[in-house]
Amino acid sequence: MSDQALHIPNGIIGIPTSLVFALIAALIVGACIVAARRGLDDRLVPLAGLATAFIFAAQMLNFPVAAGVSGHLLGGALAAALLGPALGVLCVTVVIAVQALLFADGGVTALGLNVINMAVISTFVAWAVIVLALKVLPSTRFGVTVAVFAGSVVSVVAASAGFLVQFAIGGEPIGQSLGSVTAAILGTHVLIGIGEGVITAAAVTAVALTRPDLVRALRGARIADPESRLAEERA
Amino acid sequence: MQTPTIKTSRFIIAGVIVALLMAGGVALFASSSPDGLESVMLEGCTTTEEGDIDGDCVAQQAGEHEIGGPLADYGLSFVDNASVGGSLAGIFGVLLVLALATGLFWLLARGRRGRSEGA
Repeated sequence: MSDQALHIPNGIIGIPTSLVFALIAALIVGACIVAARRGLDDRLVPLAGLATAFIFAAQMLNFPVAAGVSGHLLGGALAAALLGPALGVLCVTVVIAVQALLFADGGVTALGLNVINMAVISTFVAWAVIVLALKVLPSTRFGVTVAVFAGSVVSVVAASAGFLVQFAIGGEPIGQSLGSVTAAILGTHVLIGIGEGVITAAAVTAVALTRPDLVRALRGARIADPESRLAEERA
Repeated sequence: MQTPTIKTSRFIIAGVIVALLMAGGVALFASSSPDGLESVMLEGCTTTEEGDIDGDCVAQQAGEHEIGGPLADYGLSFVDNASVGGSLAGIFGVLLVLALATGLFWLLARGRRGRSEGA
């Protein structure tokens, strides 16, 4: 159990609740498949594959956030910034499914719960915050860095709030009240979110410096020139 | 602003190398402390040196993983050296996820292409 990493193991949330969330997760992921297909052309395929592999690797890197407590990247903010929300959800879902089925990380019965929190909530919330922030901030690389950082922090806290909803419905607090679980979960995930923000902002800035056209959140922004390189290579 | 200077193929290869280094190397030095979720679920319990959980806490409800398998907890069950096993498991995982995700997205893009050509 010591290597479970921010993923809900089986047994923590009751089976009926887990199944309901699995059904909801399946419906949303299905909708994302339909939506992602619309914007997906062959040029994006290897980039989406790379983003997924990168998120898998980054999730293995637990960083300390407090004495005896660690956290790791969820990846929703990174996927959203680079690929947009629909394709982003699919990337993180692939990671979570592989982890549950092959690496014993996150329960199989908890798969729907984990997909809802880490793939769906984190990616969509990050996307919403980034889009809103870019309306206010200047469309410079600095503006993008700040927007991605903010989106990352909020996305991780929102994902942990998703767990709290699931725990309130189908979990059983032992030895502590639901209120203290809530306070502790939100508190530690603010710290994890800051870590997520630093890593994601660094990664997105690195991509924006080398290939701004590959950052979905920059589409339409002055610093991106979407038709430049990919169009050249395609020709 | 400046025009991008890196070809897509080089960008992908560089990204894969970074991911392999992270999963196969840097991951060995990652924090082994319980994470944010686990530490809250362990509130009220103490963990013994053997990894047993004593006391009253939410984490006691957690069951054994349903599948487990040779790659459980990012190691290789048949490799005695934990560092070597962890490194190989990480490298295998990155390559597997890369192949799986690229394949699935390729199928998705192909399905779109097929449909639009048929219409």
